[in-house]
Amino acid sequence: MVQINRKLCVGCATCIPYCPVEAFKKEAEERKVYVDEEVCTNCYVCIRNNVCPVGAIEESNLDNFMKQFQHVISDPTVTSEGTGVPGRGTEEAKTNDVTGRYGRGEFGICIDMGRPGIGCRLRDAEKVAMAVAQAGVVLEGPETTPLATLMTDIKTGKLVDEALDTNVLSVIIEGKCPKEKLPDVLMALRRVEKEIETTFCLGIVSRAEQEEASFFFETLEKLGIPKPFRGKVNVGLGRPLIP
Amino acid sequence: MTHSLHRFGSIESQRNDFVWFIYQSKGINDADFEEKARRAIAIAEKCGSENWGDIKIGCKLKCPANEIATNLSRQSRIRGVFTKREQVVEFLKEMKEADLGLSVIISGLLDEVLPSCEEAALTPHTINYSLGVWGKKDLLPEEDVLAITSMCGHHMIAANLVRKKMEEVKKGRKSAEKAAEELAVLCPCGIFNQVRAARILQEAAVKA
Ligand code: SF4
Ligand code: SF4
Repeated sequence: MVQINRKLCVGCATCIPYCPVEAFKKEAEERKVYVDEEVCTNCYVCIRNNVCPVGAIEESNLDNFMKQFQHVISDPTVTSEGTGVPGRGTEEAKTNDVTGRYGRGEFGICIDMGRPGIGCRLRDAEKVAMAVAQAGVVLEGPETTPLATLMTDIKTGKLVDEALDTNVLSVIIEGKCPKEKLPDVLMALRRVEKEIETTFCLGIVSRAEQEEASFFFETLEKLGIPKPFRGKVNVGLGRPLIP
Repeated sequence: MTHSLHRFGSIESQRNDFVWFIYQSKGINDADFEEKARRAIAIAEKCGSENWGDIKIGCKLKCPANEIATNLSRQSRIRGVFTKREQVVEFLKEMKEADLGLSVIISGLLDEVLPSCEEAALTPHTINYSLGVWGKKDLLPEEDVLAITSMCGHHMIAANLVRKKMEEVKKGRKSAEKAAEELAVLCPCGIFNQVRAARILQEAAVKA
């Protein structure tokens, strides 16, 4: 976690509102601020934006793998070594016109754990990853998505034990399933959403053809899930690998 | 990631909020990316993109546009915002004409984006649909605060900071536009829509 240099801090509280997860706390006794290490995600919003007028906020000593992971995942300006992609996730629908990652008859699943702006313990990310894997999602591997580097078994979504208490601003669980598994996956998410201490945002990736859209909307209707009104549309201008 | 997909706030306030992206794929179509990206940026600027940037360099509200364009690399990620549907249609038409071979993506309300593609004679390839927030929704901030924080999809903008700016606007200490720009510079990608944010801040000040 980042640290406050107590010799420099004048207790002005300028930094407090900038932290997305409210990690800056006021000391009870002296007029100083400290960083709650249980809460800080090493997102470096405070450092990057020089929010302290006297320069009292100092960078973390990222001296173990989990701290480095936490920083890379929480600070989108840092590139993840595994994926080579800056930020927490991958290219999902954005480059599907050239990569063909999601074909017809398949649905992509993008679960942004801890979003919007709540943060999450990796224990909750594990619960959700395991629930969707069991329901038929094939999870993306470490070459495309950072969370997979912590999985002991990509087939189950289980994470290494030492990762579970780490908190991050957000982390994405990515995978895909054949269309017939989509109802099971959505029902699994309906169950597991009640077992976690945070929120997630859910994106479902589909080819834009009418047949896929009809199947998707009918599935949502059957399960009582409201029809989406927002989307990220790949307009098909990339040169495709797979026609 | 899906940082432009999940935006919140009233449907009406999302109506004039679009995010554009230009994406290269490593080893597939990233040759000469810097040059192609500069052409795409020139098109977006011509169409009136109010904010755009590269996550490694910053957004144009923080960094001069020519500085971002000059410092692009093959790994750069270029994205920005439009606030009118006509801008989106024009952008898509020009990108089609330029035929750069890069992926082009637009996030927004589907009943705005899909007709825009049609107007530009484009057939969408893939859609990432937002199914919104799941889990402990009682942790979420107020709707107008969330409408602003979620415009930086990496959540670099704290709810408490938005509340502070709302207070400053309400007390007349600064204009809604100035407050919105102060928030926008915290979003390194350049997809924060400061025009929509100013409107929300102004409405919150009037309501209070
Ligand atoms: S802004 Fe700097 S000086 Fe002020 S309370 Fe925070 S750390 Fe201390
Ligand atoms: S690094 Fe991020 S989470 Fe930690 S104190 Fe700074 S702003 Fe808050």
